[in-house]
Amino acid sequence: MRKYLFIFKSELMSTLQYVFNIAAGFIGCFILLFIFLNLWQYIYSNPSEIINGYTMNQMIWYIIITEILWGISSGKKICVKISNDIKGGNIAYNLNKPYNYILYSLFSHLGSAFVKAIIYTILGMIVGFMFLGSFPNLNILSIIAVILTSVLSTIISALLVSFIGLFSFIIEDSTPFYWLYSKLILIVGTIFPIEYFPSIIQPILKLSPVYVVCYGPAKLFVDFSLNNFITVFISQIIYIGIGFGLCTLLYKKGVKNLNVNGG
Amino acid sequence: MSIIKVEKLSKTFKVKLKEKGLKGSLKSIFKPRYKTINAVKNISFEVEKGEIIAFIGPNGAGKSTTIKMLTGILYPNSGNIKVLDIDPKTERKKLAYQIGTVFGQKEQLWTHLTPYDNFKFFGAIYDIPESRVEKKIEEFKELFELEEFINTPVRNLSLGQRIRCEIVASLIHEPKVLFLDEPTIGLDPVVKENIRTLIKIMNKEYKTTIFLTSHDIGDIEKLCKRVIIINNGKIVLDDSMENLKYHYLNKKIVEAKMKEKVNLDDEDGITILKDKGYNLKIEVDITKKSVSDAIKLLNPDNIIDINISNTPLEDIISNIYKEEKK
Amino acid sequence: MLMEVKNQFKITLLSVKYALVREMLNKTTFITNILFMILNNASFIIQWIVLYSLKDNIGGYTFNQVLLLWGIAASTYGFSHFFFKNAYYLSDTINNGKLDSFLVQPKNVLLSAITNSVETSAIGDFIYGYIMLFIFGFSIKNFILFTFFTICGGFILTSISVILSSLSFWFNKSDIIVDTGNSLMTSLATYPDGIFKGIVKILIYTLIPAGIVNYIPVEIMTEFNINLFLIVIIFTITLISLAFLIFYKGLKRYSSSNLMVARI
Repeated sequence: MRKYLFIFKSELMSTLQYVFNIAAGFIGCFILLFIFLNLWQYIYSNPSEIINGYTMNQMIWYIIITEILWGISSGKKICVKISNDIKGGNIAYNLNKPYNYILYSLFSHLGSAFVKAIIYTILGMIVGFMFLGSFPNLNILSIIAVILTSVLSTIISALLVSFIGLFSFIIEDSTPFYWLYSKLILIVGTIFPIEYFPSIIQPILKLSPVYVVCYGPAKLFVDFSLNNFITVFISQIIYIGIGFGLCTLLYKKGVKNLNVNGG
Repeated sequence: MSIIKVEKLSKTFKVKLKEKGLKGSLKSIFKPRYKTINAVKNISFEVEKGEIIAFIGPNGAGKSTTIKMLTGILYPNSGNIKVLDIDPKTERKKLAYQIGTVFGQKEQLWTHLTPYDNFKFFGAIYDIPESRVEKKIEEFKELFELEEFINTPVRNLSLGQRIRCEIVASLIHEPKVLFLDEPTIGLDPVVKENIRTLIKIMNKEYKTTIFLTSHDIGDIEKLCKRVIIINNGKIVLDDSMENLKYHYLNKKIVEAKMKEKVNLDDEDGITILKDKGYNLKIEVDITKKSVSDAIKLLNPDNIIDINISNTPLEDIISNIYKEEKK
Repeated sequence: MLMEVKNQFKITLLSVKYALVREMLNKTTFITNILFMILNNASFIIQWIVLYSLKDNIGGYTFNQVLLLWGIAASTYGFSHFFFKNAYYLSDTINNGKLDSFLVQPKNVLLSAITNSVETSAIGDFIYGYIMLFIFGFSIKNFILFTFFTICGGFILTSISVILSSLSFWFNKSDIIVDTGNSLMTSLATYPDGIFKGIVKILIYTLIPAGIVNYIPVEIMTEFNINLFLIVIIFTITLISLAFLIFYKGLKRYSSSNLMVARI
């Protein structure tokens, strides 16, 4: 485990050099949040109105959290890296190294995500307070719950994106799959809570990654309940187990073929 | 008639200073510090029609800056330039029709197209009628032996073939002056020779004036009749190749292996470069002392082996660079 | 003069043609890029279906009008990114001395620099724009107007990127300004202007002219208005002139690749 922490740390250190660039990357996020502030202010005819169980402030905070999560884990880089490793044959060099390739990629991704998380969270909270003038009702327990589920959410999206990257073992170009995943998260998961969708598809969405990656932490932030937390947490653990299992399986299978083909 | 006329040309750059570390980076964002660098300081020279001139100097001496000002890429801070009586500063486009440029490290060709298509593209850039471009390509194909790869996409060509095409592409509009910035960089000796031949043919057949920068002494020695050396933004030497060599050819290097130790002191016309007892290396200034006199000093009976040579041009030039530093 | 313009036009088209040939070297990638961009844009319809299930009218727009707004946004973006892809990488071109090879050619430096590569996926945006036009309602008049606004809007988007990128001649870190400006233009483009109030409303018709590129065209195509039409034309011409003016003013400060950062 120590070596993975070391990988985490060194990636974190090298990301620290780009603090300014990362903060600048938040600008795009800010523009979108600003538009949504205007949009929801328009749609909610008065601030006390409740639509699908959410007040206007809750809707804005919901998007702030999902945008932060997306900003932290937009894992195109990890997908591209894994797929390049496979296509370029770099993966063969990793075979005789004493570490687990999946864990290695995951921890190096988390190292850079950590720096982003701090910057994005600070900026996100400032923007939210600027827009709305108040925070949702929070207490120590709910804050811990949000942080914990956010970390798990980041790990899940990293695993899912890695899984897509590992698809390069099977098909030439796995980008279309990444594209599908990112659309699912961005359009279905980031903008609206699950309650906004027709009741027929809500159960499907609750089983999809949208629930554990976006909805879970954001919902807990705007409207905490212990029951909800337990459901989200358990779902996330299951997702991590399945995600890691699938990655390992695909990796082992891919590497085996690699050996047969002689790299 | 002078083709290029440069008078009191200067160029300064403002360079941002960056301090080390995160703190330095932050500081440079909010309170940047600048330093002015005088890349070219008040230089003047002229180039005659049909000359092949070498414009050389160590890295960062101001070569590229000067060549870029001559071709209209950079604006000078002060001074006058006339290339073919055109001022690059105010009449960039007009000048562009008359000159050709090849920057060894920068590619101008479309790599997915064949040289043939590329030449046609450049023909269009210089507004040359289609039929004339085709005739020109036919002519170049023979003259510069492009036959075997003229229809192969540039990305599949070897580095040498690419550079050859780069140069030919810059000739489509029959420029009167050709600026070559390190054309032979990174090429193997055979290809280098090839490029040099190409340059020579151009100069002879089309009377093209050639302004060349290079770090390769071979380029300079084999092509140029005149050399301008620039260092720290100033011209330190502007002379014919012959003079440059002659000036230093007066000096001979004598290396001798001796049976016995000789005690030799510096005297008029003789400089001791190395003295390891039995092995001796001296420089003889033959305007002051003949080589045979120098050998006599060594006592010819004691010599086991002797080698008399000219100072290599490479040394001559690097000596000039170093002298300037002092 | 006329000859010069003709020659310039010829070389610009040739340059775009060759750049397109380069993109088409790999046919499968070329086609998937286009198709995926169309799908990408189409996926945002989900967002609007959800929003219109809450209200029939958002920011003064019907669902149909939002589709047209998306159409204009996509086609202007596509037009600009296809023909002038490098306008969006101009900061980098300036900072890394890549203007050199254009400066030694007897042609317009700005045009040569921004037309020497094309964006494949932008073709998808462009096509998507016209698909939206067909859904909104096709007529010869709408088709002509839509095409006209696509060209004007494309020129405006390009000019904005050129103007902001030209700041690189003066400042080092201006690429952040360029990114912000461009993403403001594209983000605002797909939301009805009625949701904005006060100072933002003024901004979108002036400094961040998403209003001129997107909102006015939708308005004109819903109900023709000659004054608004003229505003679009005048604004386009002004911005193009400004782009050339600022770029050429900055070009005098161009430092090729000689601008290095010295470490102490």
